[in-house]
Amino acid sequence: ALAVFDVQYEARPGVFDQLGGVRRGAPVVHAAPGAYEGAPAERPHPNVQSVLRFKLGDVDAGFREADRVFEHTFRTQLAHHGYIEPHAGVVAIDAEGRVQVWASNKMPYRLKELLAHALRLPKERIRVNLTPIGGDFGGKGSLMDLPLAYHLARVTGRPVKMLMRYAEELMAGNPRHPSVITMRTGVTSGGRIVARRVTAHFNSGAYAAFKPAPTVNLGGAGMGAGVYRIPHLLIESFCVYTHSIPCGHARSPGEPQMVFAGESHMDMIARDMGLDPAELRRRNLLGDGDLLANGHHLEHVRAKETLEAALAATDWGAPKPPWVGRGVAMTHRHIGVGFTNAHVRLETKGTVTLVIGLPDTGTGAHLVLRQVVAEVLGLTVEEVEIELASTDLFETDSGVGGSRVTHTGGRAAYHAAEQLKEQIAAEAARLGVRDASLATIAQAAARDGRTLEAGHFYDAKSHAAVTSFTAQAAEVAVDPETGQVTVRRFTTAHDVGTVINPLGHQGQIEGGFVQGLGFALSEELRTEDGRISTLSLGDFKLPTVLDIPPLTTVLLEDPVGPGPFGAKAIGEGSISAVAPAIANAVADACGVRVQDLPITAEKVYVALRERG
Amino acid sequence: MLTIRLTVNGMRQEVEVPTYRTLLDCLRYDLGLTGSKEGCGVGVCGACTVLLDGKMISACIALASFADGRTVTTIEGLAQDERLHPVQQAFMDMGGFQCGICTPGQVMASKALLDEVPHPSEAEIREWMLGNLCRCTGYYKIVESVRAASRAGRP
Repeated sequence: ALAVFDVQYEARPGVFDQLGGVRRGAPVVHAAPGAYEGAPAERPHPNVQSVLRFKLGDVDAGFREADRVFEHTFRTQLAHHGYIEPHAGVVAIDAEGRVQVWASNKMPYRLKELLAHALRLPKERIRVNLTPIGGDFGGKGSLMDLPLAYHLARVTGRPVKMLMRYAEELMAGNPRHPSVITMRTGVTSGGRIVARRVTAHFNSGAYAAFKPAPTVNLGGAGMGAGVYRIPHLLIESFCVYTHSIPCGHARSPGEPQMVFAGESHMDMIARDMGLDPAELRRRNLLGDGDLLANGHHLEHVRAKETLEAALAATDWGAPKPPWVGRGVAMTHRHIGVGFTNAHVRLETKGTVTLVIGLPDTGTGAHLVLRQVVAEVLGLTVEEVEIELASTDLFETDSGVGGSRVTHTGGRAAYHAAEQLKEQIAAEAARLGVRDASLATIAQAAARDGRTLEAGHFYDAKSHAAVTSFTAQAAEVAVDPETGQVTVRRFTTAHDVGTVINPLGHQGQIEGGFVQGLGFALSEELRTEDGRISTLSLGDFKLPTVLDIPPLTTVLLEDPVGPGPFGAKAIGEGSISAVAPAIANAVADACGVRVQDLPITAEKVYVALRERG
Repeated sequence: MLTIRLTVNGMRQEVEVPTYRTLLDCLRYDLGLTGSKEGCGVGVCGACTVLLDGKMISACIALASFADGRTVTTIEGLAQDERLHPVQQAFMDMGGFQCGICTPGQVMASKALLDEVPHPSEAEIREWMLGNLCRCTGYYKIVESVRAASRAGRP
């Protein structure tokens, strides 16, 4: 059949970077982007996918109050999530005509809805079966090739397995957006920030749908305000269409980019003003009652304590050898919101089964949820088993992401377990036996044909007034001959809620830190005319076990989170400030300021040579 | 097609495979041993690490025919009855894994190390484990796991 086709290609000019994309007269990527379903109306340029703004006060008036104004521009690279398991999935149409799906997807209920929408099928026809996920980091929330697998399954009448090779992952995943971010900040001579204007351009690639949020933008753009009280603020984030790989959500979407820019900018201001970078931060940190960029009030603010803890653990201010420098950077991460169903059931053997629609992406979330149920019911964690609900069981669930699982899953499990506890007490009273075992109680109910069980739907619509602060400090050595940066030691300090599982909590901190380390120093998906040219995981330069520095973790525990027992979130707390902490340390070590990630030996070498 | 005979986890196996069949695909698809994982597929990430005559190799870039007449140990071959191998137990106790996709490879590489150097220094552990990538843990707890397994000794 191929012989009947005669294909001729006409080469047309393309646009591959975000600033080129919004230049006047740039080649237009989509003829009518506004016609796409869910597309935002505002379109200052035909290649603008979306605009997201955060505004406090009157930024122009604010700049008039400033004694000094600083402006710097930063760039961050295209970066893959780097999970070791590539996307995979199976679609089979069963004898009843139902579409059975198994996929490495962290949001099974949304997957069902997206598939139903894309395939024009009633939702009830689709059943997503939960599977363990080999790492996610934000990358496993989309349809990927599943619609194709469905159509092949439909046409062939056979189950179809879709499996991406890693080169395909790198070429066609949904990586972290590259950015160009300009920060302009007005400061009084006393070192107080009075105004800031942030303009961010994110290279979103050819399609927008990997950002399935109403804004079609990156919420992390709000982090342009950092952890500071800024009375007059305007952040504008532009997601730009280009002829390159569509980008998506990656561990704290938009934040590593914004925090690199903002925290490098703070250091540059401090050095220019002759202030200790830690001192400039102290003078501007958020406090109780202050507003975040999104207008939310904060309570239980421990920004200052977190900063001081990181500084103390890094011997801030102590003498250091030549070519060694120290840098600090801060951020904060919200505790995620969303909705989760949990169902608990007392088994006749005396154990409890927790039924949940959240897959475990490898964070240990299921263990945390079992611990919550065990704690409420006075059981050991081994006495609580987990059962994964296919999407047939519950109506909905917001899935894994956005630092929400311990909060929403934990609270759903907590309230369900509380109800079960009441039922158990009522059943025990009915039995009239003192200290009856759970097995005895369950068996008594079973004899009457009853099962003791309870469900809870927990729905958190808006963010709590608490957040979780991070302060990170790096000590680096720069090789004067090669420009190679070696991190000698690193401190990560976190203002956390109640820690439910210390081992898993620390694992999230360490993993996030090393992901941040890769983003800072080595990882980059390179492109040529929009096409990915980094086609092996080796070339992408994920950190190895040889690359990790001694790490000190400081936790400031405060049981004020919205999660069960006062828990907060930790999964996205340790990634975003790593790159600026290291960039600031490099500047401290040798005076070279790297404003585009990653901080390679080559960039430092060139800067050292240019300086002479 | 080739007929190859190999011993996998103590069991003699005879399989007919195309000449281009990788050892990883042979283990996973011909023998149903899906514990060994494919990550990068180009011998970089180590998720497919298995032992061939006791030495660790990347099964994704080894041909199945290469194992003809030889002995292969995979993650499925470590536990004795219901009892985990000390390296497996150490990874569980120390939090040496999160999502688990790299873990079979990490465990096999650790076993190969401890078979050769029962009490490695931290530098030796890091040097040896350099070919096993992990995105979840940041490696700290993997190093701790290997140290713990070393302390626990081997059966």
